Amino acid sequence: MASPHDAVRMGGTPHWEREDVIGKMTLSTLLFSNHYRHIAIKGMLTSVVMLGLGGLMAMLFRTELAVPDIQFFDARPYMSLMTLHGMLMVFGFVIPLVISIMYYMIPKVLGTEELLWARGAQWSYWTLILAAVLLVISRPDFTWTFYPPMSLRVGGELVWMGYLAVTLVAISEFIAGAVLFRNGWAAAKKTGWSKLPLMGWGAISEGILLVGSTPILGLVGIYMFTDWLEVTAMFDPARGGDVMTFMFMFWFYGHPAVYLPLMPAIAILYTLMPRFLGRPIWSYWSAVTAFSILTVLAFIVYPHHFQPAETVSGPLERATQILTLMIFIPSTLHVFNWIASLWYDVIPVSAKRAVPFKFIIASIFFLMLGGVTAYVNAQIATDSDFVHNTYFVPAHFHAMFVGFMANMAMAGVYYLYPYFTGRMYNQTMGNLHFWCWQIGIFTKVMMMYYLGYVYFPRWVVDYLDLPQWSTAQLTLTGGAYLIGLGFIIFVINIMLSANRGREFSGDPWAIEHEGNTGAAATPAE
Amino acid sequence: METALGLSGYQATMMILVFFVLGLGIAALFAALFLPARWKLPYSMEFVFVGLLIVLVWYGDKRSTEIFTAYQEPLANAEGEVLETTSAETEGAFDREIRVLAFQWGFAFFNDEDAISRNAAVVKPGEKVLFRIFANDVIHGFNIPVAGITAEFEPGRERALWIRAPEKPGKYLIQCLNYCGVGHAQMKAWLVVEGAEA
Repeated sequence: MASPHDAVRMGGTPHWEREDVIGKMTLSTLLFSNHYRHIAIKGMLTSVVMLGLGGLMAMLFRTELAVPDIQFFDARPYMSLMTLHGMLMVFGFVIPLVISIMYYMIPKVLGTEELLWARGAQWSYWTLILAAVLLVISRPDFTWTFYPPMSLRVGGELVWMGYLAVTLVAISEFIAGAVLFRNGWAAAKKTGWSKLPLMGWGAISEGILLVGSTPILGLVGIYMFTDWLEVTAMFDPARGGDVMTFMFMFWFYGHPAVYLPLMPAIAILYTLMPRFLGRPIWSYWSAVTAFSILTVLAFIVYPHHFQPAETVSGPLERATQILTLMIFIPSTLHVFNWIASLWYDVIPVSAKRAVPFKFIIASIFFLMLGGVTAYVNAQIATDSDFVHNTYFVPAHFHAMFVGFMANMAMAGVYYLYPYFTGRMYNQTMGNLHFWCWQIGIFTKVMMMYYLGYVYFPRWVVDYLDLPQWSTAQLTLTGGAYLIGLGFIIFVINIMLSANRGREFSGDPWAIEHEGNTGAAATPAE
Repeated sequence: METALGLSGYQATMMILVFFVLGLGIAALFAALFLPARWKLPYSMEFVFVGLLIVLVWYGDKRSTEIFTAYQEPLANAEGEVLETTSAETEGAFDREIRVLAFQWGFAFFNDEDAISRNAAVVKPGEKVLFRIFANDVIHGFNIPVAGITAEFEPGRERALWIRAPEKPGKYLIQCLNYCGVGHAQMKAWLVVEGAEA
């Protein structure tokens, strides 16, 4: 039984009366309405489109990689697909999706009743759309990390649009960060810090990360553009520039970027888990501590991304190693908290059958699978042996980005679905989507870990026909197809169910225990 | 064989440790989901847990630093040789020195006699080989899987690495691990341990 104190910390219930919000939206409201639900729905729909595009690109290059030798693509189109896949998935899908879900939930959970600075969220959205359009037109082939001077010497004549797109992404994320920080701060002022719901802590952490890191990314984009024009020579050593300046600037954003979808995903988990379990989280202060430490560490461990470089050595190298290893602690505290929350009382049957709850559990699983290997990645010795720039690195971040963050984003979408369509999704198709994704993601991640361990290099269109590489690549492609199949099932489900789904009354997520129905529950029709 | 960092054992220890911790986590998650018994953890458990994590951090940092420092020691001595400040005990620390030019998209290897090989670094079985790697175009990587060593280096700066060549004659892969342009996938060469058939 939750104490009154716990109840305040859980925040308001993210529950809305049944309404077909999407059905009532006109083109005008879809494009320009500043109502928080409209902005959030627009963000979610766009993110799903981006997921489709980025996923299609992944299917194409995974098909190429399924067997050795070049089948369909030369190196340049292959690298364009891979670069766009990475950028669309990170900047267009996972970060905007979890932020949009936060936009939807914040007014209810934090009790602000509306999204403060909603106009900012609108500007953030349109700036991101402009960035995505420029990015796709420019067809960059320099990977999402676009290390100079390589990135200044590749691409077609429109590659400059890619540099500007990077700056626009930074502007969009900066504004989104300001919106989240504003809402979290306002809620803290209203409730007091000790009773601020964890969604509020998540919003503040995310706001600090976005506002603190994106200005540097914006500068990187501008300098890339002016270097390309040969107006400046910031990063090109051939003209007196310094690559390490780029490294330090880019990764000052690039590492926190990993936490940009992580923080909202964690905040959503802390909001939804009590909702499905019908009880507060095990330890509020443990969660707050973990949020705070993660936010600080996210800003200062970035040199580990270029650790085996000569210029990162001595005390900086050692400090980076220790701090990176320490990230293990707050991340694990979150997991500890979630498992303790699951364990301390009975899990309602309503939770067990809810598709979003299943995605939450899978998220925790993959956070562990991705998180534990950070312990190996962080160590300079193992990094200098088999980790650095082998498939071990994408294995780690796919476990985190897809396994944890995208799964959590899906939990959020399935949770909110009945609230913005007025109908329930199809349960069977939801389950099918869930299992396709989990089996596919697990296969993909494990094959990537294995390939990293046997030194398979990143960013290659062609590879030697070594048995330890080719079999794993083929299996990995199979896993990717399964994820693609899951996505198709998901899209069919949300499209069909919007018109044909079961209508419900009352609370679609009412708590039901074995043999009896909870007080809050209203039977579905 | 012994990897450059002598990591075979340590790598295995790390992977076992990591997957053991993962196994514990998954077991706890499944127990929380499926065991009929419910258990409210006392908050003090978390402090014990954090203590264990700190031990893991301490162990990882200590062992990693020891291993990497030991690996770098001969390189520091090699710098001494270049500066002609070599002490008697560091002389002859390496059996062979090979200079490597990494470029878009390949490697050129220069031996002691300044002979150039486009694709192959030729060594003898078991030799301790020093590579001095240089690039002047873009950032490249240098990885010899059989030796268990990888590094990236920026243009304009020399980077030194060493390996112990395999005892078994043959051709072993050398590859770039850092994306360096559209020809990156083709940026490969071979470590040829003499005695191999051409």
